[in-house]
Amino acid sequence: MKTKIPDFVKTNQFGLLLLVIVFILLFTFTTDGFSSRFNIYALSRVVAIDIMIGLAMMVVILTGGLNLSLGALGVSAAMFGGWCMESMGIPISISIVLILLFGSFLGWINGYVTVKTGVHSFIVTLATMSIYFGFMTLLTEAEAFRKLPETFTDFGSMKLFNKYISPLLLLSIFTCFVLFYLFKFTDIGRKLIAAGANPDAAELSGISVNRMFIYCHMLSGFLAAVAGIMLTSRIGAAIPSMAGHLGFDWLLPAFLAPVIGGTLLSGGKVTVFGTMLGAVLVTLINNGLYLIDVGEFWVRFFLGLILLFAVLLDRAREYFTSKNSIVS
Amino acid sequence: MNNLLKKDWFGLGLVIILGSILISFFKPAFISPFNLYVLMLSVSLMLVVAMSQMIIIAIGQMNLSVGAIGGLVAISFTGLMEVYDVSVLPAMFIGLGIGIVCGFINGYITVKTGISAFIITLATLYIFKGMNLGITEAQPFYEIPESVKYFGNAKIFGPIPYLIIIPVIITFLMWVLMNRTSLGRYMLAYGNNVQSSELIGISSTKIVVYAHIISGLLAAIGGMLVVCRLQLGTPNIGDSWLLPSFAAPVIGGAILAGGKVDVIATAFGVILVAIISQTLVIFKIDPFFVQIFLGFMILIAVFINRYREYREDRRNKVFSNE
Repeated sequence: MKTKIPDFVKTNQFGLLLLVIVFILLFTFTTDGFSSRFNIYALSRVVAIDIMIGLAMMVVILTGGLNLSLGALGVSAAMFGGWCMESMGIPISISIVLILLFGSFLGWINGYVTVKTGVHSFIVTLATMSIYFGFMTLLTEAEAFRKLPETFTDFGSMKLFNKYISPLLLLSIFTCFVLFYLFKFTDIGRKLIAAGANPDAAELSGISVNRMFIYCHMLSGFLAAVAGIMLTSRIGAAIPSMAGHLGFDWLLPAFLAPVIGGTLLSGGKVTVFGTMLGAVLVTLINNGLYLIDVGEFWVRFFLGLILLFAVLLDRAREYFTSKNSIVS
Repeated sequence: MNNLLKKDWFGLGLVIILGSILISFFKPAFISPFNLYVLMLSVSLMLVVAMSQMIIIAIGQMNLSVGAIGGLVAISFTGLMEVYDVSVLPAMFIGLGIGIVCGFINGYITVKTGISAFIITLATLYIFKGMNLGITEAQPFYEIPESVKYFGNAKIFGPIPYLIIIPVIITFLMWVLMNRTSLGRYMLAYGNNVQSSELIGISSTKIVVYAHIISGLLAAIGGMLVVCRLQLGTPNIGDSWLLPSFAAPVIGGAILAGGKVDVIATAFGVILVAIISQTLVIFKIDPFFVQIFLGFMILIAVFINRYREYREDRRNKVFSNE
């Protein structure tokens, strides 16, 4: 009799974990400075935000939709926070609450319009992306907020664990656990997944699918605002261009992490820790590409190839697992 | 007359004419030859870009890499002429070839893997853009032959630029393709319902690959037209195409789920967007407002389309009850 392979080994997460370990070993032995304290600390600051961005996209992909406005939304929330703290002098804790509310509100707009028009969220968030970003640039006159309270910016440059890890990473990991709990053990989390997996069946079993979709968009706005706060704290200033034009710099990590992590684009399936590992992998590869010195202009090219490779691999895995299940 | 009212392009045409009259009443500068020339230039370029996206919308997919293909072709076209001294025509054909290859890659991977075109074209967006930056190292090419510069600058007569000839021909050909050829109808059938189109014997592979090839080809033409207009090949050509490429077809009543596009209405959508952008400039409104405006226009168009669908549904219900 064949020994049974534990289920965990077959999962996407396990494969990812192996890949992460392989890449860490590869970069440690082939490049100078990968395992230096400075590089690991820098990585932990970057990966923290990529995880958050990935999660923000993941919760919308759950509905079978997309959120193109993610970057614009996150930057708008961050700029709003800069205005609260610098211009209005509102205390940090209250400012953070306001930023999160603001992010959720922008997410609510996305969700509301998507649900009410029945149009794919792609086109809705494409429109809101330019609206949010346009208003943000107009209101801030493209000026950065650079005199933020020191306690706020100190958090972003704090070093923990013998100066290896940024507290931002702990915040992201904590968020992962909260989301995992939400989707796994709470009533509302299960309803969100049900609504994404099969809207008709969910509707028939008494779940308000529209409301669930709006919640997903609000959660996405909330997480994007968290990412915006973290980025502001890391840079030490709220800068309108910190996510690129229209917030486009966030889009690739936003899609890479959940897709590599095994989130289905058709909706109805989330993998919180897969997304986390996906973000770690992307950051590692990105960092490695710089260390190997492929030239900064070619980094984008390789990231694109990796995304393509990741989805093809995922497709192959799906194909083989479905074949196996038919045989058995 | 009643038939005319139901067309997507009719309402848009009306808005364009009434809007133009109203604007020129307040600002006579709007119908000055120079302004009309600028207007036609921006219409010519966006027309090609909008058609490139529209054909993908017709099959129910989206192409994020339109701008990246345009940019890659633009710098290849100018790079070949400047660095390798290739003459204009061969460089142009190589540019078109690159567009076709890029489109083929998009279409082939999408249809063979069954992965959403959104993700595939997001990946190829980064690949094409990365190649563009890797080749140019973010430096523009300045040495453009005089003939290309002339084509981009000269006017046929009055305020009409030479540049508008190719986009007009393309629009006409697209209209013929979508309305008068079996390939175009197959594309719409595929966009409407993949399963039933396969059941009646339409090859998905062929349809998807052809649509993406045409999209790549049009994006390539768009990239080269921008080179003619700017008189140089910068790596950031195509970066700002994404929003307008979707705006025009959606304003023109295209349904993103596929199966319904209107070439004339898309063209009118391009004209409307160009007029509004231009008007905002004439009225000295902050350029960032143009972007916000474009966003709101997409949302309004989406709501109007939804309302019309709803009314049509209701009318159909009344008839079926009788």
